[in-house]
Amino acid sequence: MATAAVGYSRWRSTAASLRLSVLMFLADPQWLIPSMIAPVIFGLVAFELFRGAGPYFLTYAILGAGMMSMWGQTLYGSGWATGQDREFGTLEPTLQSPTPYLYIVLGRVVWNVVSGLIGGGIVYVVVVLAAGGPPSLPNPLAFAILFVFVMLSLAAVGVVFAAFYVYTRYAGFIQNIGEFAFYVGTGCMFPVVLLPFWTNPIALVFPPTWALDALRYNSIPGYVGFSWGFEWDLVGAVVTTAVYLAIAGTVFHRVERHVLEVGNLADF
Amino acid sequence: MLARDGPAIETRGVTRRFESRKGFLFRDITRTDALQGVDLTVERGSIFGLLGPNGAGKTTLTKILSTLLLPTGGEARVLGHDVSRDADWLRPRIGLVLGGERGLYNRVSGRDNLRYFADLYGIPPVEREARIRTVLERVDLSTAADRRVEEYSRGMKQKLHLARGILHRPEILFLDEPTIGLDPKSARETRKLIRSLVVDGVTIFLTTHYMFEAEELCPQLAILSKGRIVARDSVDNLRQLVGGDRTLEAEAYGFEDRELATLRHLPGVSKVVEEEYGPATRLTIRVRTEETGVDEVRRVLPGHDELSVRERRTSLEDVYLDLVEEEAR
Ligand SMILES: Nc1ncnc2c1ncn2[C@@H]1O[C@H](COP(=O)(O)OP(=O)(O)O)[C@@H](O)[C@H]1O
Ligand SMILES: [Mg+2]
Repeated sequence: MATAAVGYSRWRSTAASLRLSVLMFLADPQWLIPSMIAPVIFGLVAFELFRGAGPYFLTYAILGAGMMSMWGQTLYGSGWATGQDREFGTLEPTLQSPTPYLYIVLGRVVWNVVSGLIGGGIVYVVVVLAAGGPPSLPNPLAFAILFVFVMLSLAAVGVVFAAFYVYTRYAGFIQNIGEFAFYVGTGCMFPVVLLPFWTNPIALVFPPTWALDALRYNSIPGYVGFSWGFEWDLVGAVVTTAVYLAIAGTVFHRVERHVLEVGNLADF
Repeated sequence: MLARDGPAIETRGVTRRFESRKGFLFRDITRTDALQGVDLTVERGSIFGLLGPNGAGKTTLTKILSTLLLPTGGEARVLGHDVSRDADWLRPRIGLVLGGERGLYNRVSGRDNLRYFADLYGIPPVEREARIRTVLERVDLSTAADRRVEEYSRGMKQKLHLARGILHRPEILFLDEPTIGLDPKSARETRKLIRSLVVDGVTIFLTTHYMFEAEELCPQLAILSKGRIVARDSVDNLRQLVGGDRTLEAEAYGFEDRELATLRHLPGVSKVVEEEYGPATRLTIRVRTEETGVDEVRRVLPGHDELSVRERRTSLEDVYLDLVEEEAR
């Protein structure tokens, strides 16, 4: 046979994974529920929940509901798609290809970030419609940028979660237990400082905790979050996100080796 | 390149143990020794068959050779490279077809499945579509290419598996039971396709538990039984291995032990096996020389009204059953 293709291209593999994610999304209408319908419901519930709670209740509602829908998209999305690879039996041919699995996950994460932001946008529109007007944001541009930043910090956690799904078919079980703790712990709905003190150090392990606190500082005048304030929140978020991505790189390499040793790739 | 002229596959003492944990808190550990020291050399450029019954370890060996599983002992080299250490080098050069209903993205089209894997194998974008078209034509899937895989029949899915396996033009192609579960027509087409691939100089490593398939496709083969290679030779030599290349069959309603003993003492007879065949009994007689034929067998089995005796070619199946049977004892 003529020349064999040798190797892979990182960006092309990531793009291929992103493309497949979109195709799978379009092919399966059940995805409309978490990605389109859930944000509407979260938005309405959050609006009722925070109604009248101070002058900035609209911002709280948008952040709370936005986080909930984005959280589902990213964290769940990338892990779940990997679980599906097990279920479909596509994990084996994918790992057999020259592309490291990390790039497959990155492609999915890009899609999850995009669809998470769409969900966040839906929440915003729903809350604004329910309130009859937009929230008063001191700096709308910074709000938008920080919103995307929060999303990226969530994505970093999603990548690490995906590694669990490659590691074992019991990842879904592990994630379900961790889900609640994570959701409350990172202060998705309520600021972390409102939680019992002992949970704070745990919450700081998650990049979104920092990013979200920064976002609240930025968009809610008089907000009382972590005592170190907005700037150090940003630094913390960047550092923890970088650490997660670095861990993900190593973890994936090890996990790929581990599954070849154990031989559980075909389990689902 | 280092490995141009060496064998396609070389294994020495390859073992694989699986440990599965069951019960509360993983207390019960079950150990399965799927491969118990496999030594194998496969030359380049033809179809090599690995034949063995279910559970023999065929899939395990295939996965080890295609870098999807690490051996727990021994050494395996493919294209001159160690499967545990040089997986990155090997993966682009290996095609693997595990086949079956699973392993494909069912909700998208066959073409989109191939596009995805083409990208993962780093096929240049300018070549991608043309290559997919060629491969689809080759497996006769062009007209169905844009339909969702979930609408495909079992045979079409197998063709798509094969298309994916050859898309990146691998130097060596692993096919694990490529015709299992296919209807006879699809199985025939698949075998034809496999044969056509050798023309391109690809080395094919094929596993099967159908003896006729190995006989039809593979000039060289090995028989795997309970994790061990029990024979490794050409089809003709394997026939010789179990005592000659002629087989006579005699059928009637029951034979006496005395008759069997007489048969066993005819010149050149190496083996007589008795089995129930519906209401009748069938004797399979393995003969090494020309002296004993249909007439000689008839002569020592007088008094059977319904006796039928015929000569047939010794099939690989005979060899195979003998070997696997011996191993089982
Ligand atoms: N992942 C695994 N975990 C535990 N046992 C396994 C695993 N894979 C295969 N085995 C066992 O190893 C043996 C060989 O299996 P396999 O290679 O699939 O055989 P074949 O493909 O020849 O039918 C069988 O006893 C099987 O149950
Ligand atoms: Mg098998």
